Amino acid sequence: MNNRLIRIGTALAAVLIAAPALAQDLTFWSWRQEDRAAYEQFIDTFEAANPGITVKFETFEAANYNTILATALAGGTGPDVMMVRAYGGLENVAAAGYLEPLTTETVPALAEFSAPALAAESGRADGAIYAVPFASQTQLVIYNKALFDANGIAEPQTWDELVAASQKLKDAGVIPFANGTATAWQNETVTFGLGSSLMGKAFYDELMAGTTDFTDERFTGALAAVAEVAAQYFPDGFIGLDYPSAQQLFSSGMAGMFIGGSYELATFKTQNPDIELGVFAAPGKTAEDAKLVGLYFDGGYAANAAGANKEASLKFLNYLASKEFGQAFADTLSNISTVPGVTFGNPLLAEVNELNQSSIPYLMLAHFRYGEPSGSVLIQGEMQKLFSGQTTPEAIGTTLTEGLAAWYEPFKK
Amino acid sequence: MSAASTTYYDRKGPLAALGRDGLLQIILIANTIIMLAPIVIMIFSAFKTTPQIFQSPFGIPDFTQVGNFVKIWTQTNFLRYLLNSFVVTGASMALILTLGTMAAYAIGRYQFTGSSFILMFFLAGLTLPLKLAIIPLFMLMRDLSVLNNQLSLIFVYTAMGLPTTVFIMTGFIRTLPNELEDAARMDGASEARIMWSIMLPLVRPAMVISGIQNVVPIWNDFFFPLVFIQNDDLKTLPQGLTTFMGEYTTDWGVLFSGLTLSAAPIIIIYIVLSRQFIAGMTSGAVK
Amino acid sequence: MPHLRMTGRGLWITALIVPPLAFVALFIVYPIISAFAYAFFDWQGLRRGDFVGLENFHTVLFVEPYRSWTINAFKNNVIVFFALMVLQNGLGFILAYALWRGLPGARFHRIAVFLPVVLSTIIVAYLFKLFLHPLFGVVNISLRGIGLDWLAQPWLGQGNTAIWSLIAAQAWHMVGFPTLVFLAGMQRIPGEILDAVRMETESEWVKITGIVWPLVAPSATIVFTLLFVGAFNWFELPYIMAGLDGSPFGSTDVLGLYFYRTAFGNVSSGQQDFGLGSALAVLIFLFVAVIASTITVRLRAREIQL
Repeated sequence: MNNRLIRIGTALAAVLIAAPALAQDLTFWSWRQEDRAAYEQFIDTFEAANPGITVKFETFEAANYNTILATALAGGTGPDVMMVRAYGGLENVAAAGYLEPLTTETVPALAEFSAPALAAESGRADGAIYAVPFASQTQLVIYNKALFDANGIAEPQTWDELVAASQKLKDAGVIPFANGTATAWQNETVTFGLGSSLMGKAFYDELMAGTTDFTDERFTGALAAVAEVAAQYFPDGFIGLDYPSAQQLFSSGMAGMFIGGSYELATFKTQNPDIELGVFAAPGKTAEDAKLVGLYFDGGYAANAAGANKEASLKFLNYLASKEFGQAFADTLSNISTVPGVTFGNPLLAEVNELNQSSIPYLMLAHFRYGEPSGSVLIQGEMQKLFSGQTTPEAIGTTLTEGLAAWYEPFKK
Repeated sequence: MSAASTTYYDRKGPLAALGRDGLLQIILIANTIIMLAPIVIMIFSAFKTTPQIFQSPFGIPDFTQVGNFVKIWTQTNFLRYLLNSFVVTGASMALILTLGTMAAYAIGRYQFTGSSFILMFFLAGLTLPLKLAIIPLFMLMRDLSVLNNQLSLIFVYTAMGLPTTVFIMTGFIRTLPNELEDAARMDGASEARIMWSIMLPLVRPAMVISGIQNVVPIWNDFFFPLVFIQNDDLKTLPQGLTTFMGEYTTDWGVLFSGLTLSAAPIIIIYIVLSRQFIAGMTSGAVK
Repeated sequence: MPHLRMTGRGLWITALIVPPLAFVALFIVYPIISAFAYAFFDWQGLRRGDFVGLENFHTVLFVEPYRSWTINAFKNNVIVFFALMVLQNGLGFILAYALWRGLPGARFHRIAVFLPVVLSTIIVAYLFKLFLHPLFGVVNISLRGIGLDWLAQPWLGQGNTAIWSLIAAQAWHMVGFPTLVFLAGMQRIPGEILDAVRMETESEWVKITGIVWPLVAPSATIVFTLLFVGAFNWFELPYIMAGLDGSPFGSTDVLGLYFYRTAFGNVSSGQQDFGLGSALAVLIFLFVAVIASTITVRLRAREIQL
């Protein structure tokens, strides 16, 4: 017994001495509970290449992640490396000075990243980059290939074709669109997933330049068109249909199309492995109008400015910004990695990536979540009103513009 | 039912009472159907597949078809939630009854300066809606480093349960006779000994009432775990239920069996102990 | 009762009283006092900033969009309170009166009416959410089954039906509580009083309004007060059935949801403001405390007159 203890003690001592003097343990926080296995794998790869650094992956519930992270950082118990949100969600943590600003010197790979991706992970006030962006999401129309083929429908090139296709499905006893709007945030998805091409790039540019606002006819016209399609071709009682039920309608093959994010693709495949999916960008009025998807960035990886192991953290961030990681990320998690030069083996992802070349940002998230009331909260409530016939597109334009004027400088009169 | 009221109705003219009683009986039966139907549908649906639920929501299922329950047992964190609820509720109840009895005993059995003030202090806690103090509580738990730790729940529940317990127990302890206690004191028994072996056995009925009054809200609470607990392995049943309902949204059979399983423990205990439950849960409102 | 004489006994009492007192002080009294203090500061996330006086109160009461949100949520709370007053307490009184008769099966009915009360609100909320599903819910399936297709509504999706669906679920959940409190009140009415009334009138109505109702008034006071406090702290049921935003378009938004959303942020806005949240908490708290004590005092006064 005693002998054994001594042996163990000696072995332990040997390990301790043999370990590099600067052994560093990093903690890495995430809200992607479902991706744990994949991340453990990425971490193994990193640890193998960087002896002496170990990374501990911890996950938290997505809905409360921001609160938890802010709490921990404020209390000095934050992680070394963490996933952070983008846009307004990033600003909360970044503005408080908790995050280490990144430069192309500390993380050289950032130089190659696309400008909108970096903008999503930058502070508005100082313009500094605070995180390595990891994935983009695309709002578009997902369709059931088998149902389209059975009814002789091709991907619509004009708005009229989209309506005609929907009518065809309806006549065949198939619900054209599975979407429901009882879950508030689905209203925003539906609006921009379906309406981005109708709004058009010119509207977006002018809106950003401050030369127009939401009372613009291109915007209100798009809302009217979306509401009309919803009234005709969404499920009966769609205003009372919640998000999971809508997903279920689509994945079970009861509906032909689903307006949603590229993140739905994996979900639908899990819910029904046999389903054959296709994607297209909702068309504009005519075939000449650019077909635009709504594009946004999910979040990024950031380092704790007050972390004890900053050097190791930066090493890890460099790995997370590498093409090697981006490729593994795309392959394992079926997500559109933001790392430049990544290729997509999954044909659907490749197609989404292709569609992303013609996009406008997912408007409210990218630009109007920096104050109260946020554009998202406004559009969600107003669209619910529109769908139940309690407001008009024009009134929504006014409500949005006047509501956002509370904090959005260009709208202030 | 008190003897007096029964007598009163016995004396009523039988014919006059019949019409009215008939109406009242119909009201009662209708109400009982409304009260029980949702629960019966829930239990029936737990034994059906999702298509069966959609096609015949009222049909009587094959009760040997327990696939939904097997799924919950083997594929979800349900058991863990259940266990957590037992741990949190059990620990809170133990603390509430121990501390509540201590305070009530001191206030009810001894005269000392400030005793009525202390009772008032406890009673003030009776009426304060603690939900509204969630922000400072959140900060407090952070400072105590018990966020994402079940101790945070146990602390809050204990504090919430103490006012009613002290209130009920003090009232009860005051009604206990002094003779036994005085006799023991004559014999030189210590105060602790008197409390433990003479008085405590007598206060058990009051402990049952206070226990039931607190155990139901604690077992059912959702709000505090929502704010304090994030780790899935630490969630209590009501909070875990939201995670579970989110994961299995498409499988209604599993959803209903999850609801049935969550409701089962308390329904069974209630049916066995309905008299004590009703007395306990309305004890704060009935004087 | 023995008087305090020895220090030993003083220590003993202290040992008994201090731990429970500490719990209440630390986890109830201190947080509530702090909630008041928090409301006067500007907060960046979880960091307390400058003292801003009444600015947070001013913002939630008078500055758009908070002003309309506050008014809307408050209005819904008022609707909920009055609706439940009728559905829950009114029905509860009738049921109690019926149970009081001791008709055959009364014991069973009494157990049945209280059964939903012991269930978790979360279970009740999910149950009704599934029942009210527009396509597959048992409510709409039944309505379509008996040919009332036009009545099959997207209950939780329409502004005018959503709040009432929530109220109905809540009334189902809790009606047993006032019922049994009223019943306990009725059972304490002395038989002699009832006999005396019977001499004078045969009218059931006179009996109820003239004797039963006044004599259960103490129960009514408590039931009303509890309902009031409960209605203005309503959170769990709307949170599960309608979501944190009070969907659709704020028609089910109540102060509880609004307060939580403001304090802890929600997915679609990401903003978190402890200062504004605390200001809302203080306002709700004061409102509930003032009205609840007014109800109690007023109704108590009435009890005495009778």
